[in-house]
Amino acid sequence: MKIQKSFQMALNMVLHSRLRSWLTIIGIVLGVASVVSILAIGDGMEAEITSQFEDTGGDILTLTAGVSSAKFSRGGGSSESSSAATAEEMLITRNDYQTLNGIVDIIELNPTISGSVDIYYQGESGSVSVSGVDGAVYKEFSTTDLKDGRVLTGSDSNVIIIGDKLSEEYFERELSLNQILTIQDKAFRVVGILDGGGNSVIMPLDTAYQVLEDKVKNEYDAINIKIKDEEKLDETIELIEKKLMMSRHVDLNTKDFTISSNAALAEMRQELITTMTSFLAAIAGVSLLVGAVGVANTMFTSVLEKTKEIGIMKSIGARNKDILMIFIFNSGLIGFVGGILGAILGYLMILLLSVAGMPVVLTASNIILVVSISIIIGMISGLIPAINASKLSPVDALRSE
Amino acid sequence: MESKIKNKKIKSNINNDKPIVKLQNVSKIYQMGEVQVPALSGVSVEIFEGEFVAIIGSSGSGKSTMMNLVGCLDTPSIGEIYLKGQDISKLTESDLSTLRGKSVGFIFQQYNLLPTLSTFKNVKLPLELQEMDDDTADQRVTEVLKSVGLATKHHHYPKQLSGGQQQRVSIARCLAANPEIILADEPTGALDSVTGTEVLEILTNLWKKERKTIIMITHDLKLAKKYASKVIELKDGKIIKNVSNKQDI
Ligand SMILES: Nc1ncnc2c1ncn2[C@@H]1O[C@H](COP(=O)(O)OP(=O)(O)OP(=O)(O)O)[C@@H](O)[C@H]1O
Ligand SMILES: [Mg+2]
Repeated sequence: MKIQKSFQMALNMVLHSRLRSWLTIIGIVLGVASVVSILAIGDGMEAEITSQFEDTGGDILTLTAGVSSAKFSRGGGSSESSSAATAEEMLITRNDYQTLNGIVDIIELNPTISGSVDIYYQGESGSVSVSGVDGAVYKEFSTTDLKDGRVLTGSDSNVIIIGDKLSEEYFERELSLNQILTIQDKAFRVVGILDGGGNSVIMPLDTAYQVLEDKVKNEYDAINIKIKDEEKLDETIELIEKKLMMSRHVDLNTKDFTISSNAALAEMRQELITTMTSFLAAIAGVSLLVGAVGVANTMFTSVLEKTKEIGIMKSIGARNKDILMIFIFNSGLIGFVGGILGAILGYLMILLLSVAGMPVVLTASNIILVVSISIIIGMISGLIPAINASKLSPVDALRSE
Repeated sequence: MESKIKNKKIKSNINNDKPIVKLQNVSKIYQMGEVQVPALSGVSVEIFEGEFVAIIGSSGSGKSTMMNLVGCLDTPSIGEIYLKGQDISKLTESDLSTLRGKSVGFIFQQYNLLPTLSTFKNVKLPLELQEMDDDTADQRVTEVLKSVGLATKHHHYPKQLSGGQQQRVSIARCLAANPEIILADEPTGALDSVTGTEVLEILTNLWKKERKTIIMITHDLKLAKKYASKVIELKDGKIIKNVSNKQDI
């Protein structure tokens, strides 16, 4: 029998198949749809990380006290101190600043402190985190664009830059540019609003010492470091660590500070996302597997049901090979139909997610991949029943009812 | 028409030179768990080209078993079967299927049409299995459907046809590949006597005009005597009678 005729026979079988076949197809549809959308979510997250990485630049390092086991603490303008940095000698101080200042591979330094403060605005109050930064260099380190207003400068004192949420959502009335926010009984004028940044408040370092009462002058929570050559990231980190170990009188074993890089951070996040995506994909894969078991089950029953028809076909000259082809095509078609419908459903789910604001990226190659996998799964799970069908003795098959 | 056939003295179609089917000491034993069921024991018979053989015998006597062996649907436990001079035990599964498709046409009591295919497609299927090109096949199918009086039923599905019509579809399907041998297992068993007679007339025509070799199982001795040129009677898997039926012709 010619291939296209076997295919037509298989198609005829699918078209005349009972409800059960369609239920099997639904199993595959759900499996495929979840794989497609999970891949799109994964790709979306990856794309976002990549663009974030491009924004931040890989040339910014962060020095924090203590040796955090996670190795990479949060970088950027709002670094928190590592929880281990409680002992006297485990502080980042003016000394470290000076040490770093003497390294030629470093362009700019931004010492920061941060903490939680009470705020008041037009009769409402709340509590947010505030970061003190060096106004003169803040611009070099900022990773978030400004939506409105300006950045801090070296001569600023009682002014702040705030996150978009704090501006738009936190208070009943919008906290817009040039409004006055009261922080720990001191008045601050809003000079900039970030495009992002949540509820954070950024102010000049000296002012921050007055607001954050437990902070001691010349001690920092972190120092952001901008290096000269991003290509030589690893060497520069090594050099900085060496100098700091000397000035802090520690060796590799007693090292009490951590240098983390945004590049490494981005890499780590990427890794995290890959792990998460593969985990989700594994779950989706399991559901595809369940679909495959469904196909196999349907095929086994279908062969049983069609035993007589197989006998008839053999009595009019069908070879084992012909029967085999028909049944493999049949299960492949089930996989194909399930795959296509699943891709469509997945596409709709992705549309929904992107409307909901989730970053998703749908690629044609992913769809083709998943549909092909679905066809192959269909064929493989139908293989054993198909072989069984083809090997039926014609007489036995004809005798069955 | 029936009487005409009877009265007209026809030339014998039968070619006695070489048997088209030859069973040599054939036994078929079915294994039913611990028990061995002998369905056929030591059957030797020769059927010649152009014969119309009726196989009779009581239920369970081995008629269907013998027919399935002749049609290469089954293989003997002991003995040899020659189809058109070929020892079928020497053929591969694939060659055997091809031989079956080209040389043997089956007609069953229960019609055995594929329920999901139209009349036309049912009849075309054996030709598709032989990889005949579409145009030739379509032409052939139209031809045989016309010859059994179903020219207007191409697009009907089996369940939309009467029993007699379905049996004619199955005859058309058996004829499509133009086989030399037609095997009919109680072809009229499920039909009333009028439609049954119609079917038998078609078979008789095929035998006489197209010189087909026909082997037909029936439990009706009267039918066997009326239509066949030879009557073989089976009992307990053995041939107990093998007589030419020329007196009727
Ligand atoms: N596949 C099988 N397995 C076991 N026994 C079988 C099988 N096929 C046939 N038999 C047995 O072989 C014997 C002959 O069966 P067969 O079908 O040839 O009889 P038959 O003459 O065609 O009967 P009927 O007129 O009822 O159709 C019976 O006893 C039957 O039970
Ligand atoms: Mg029988």
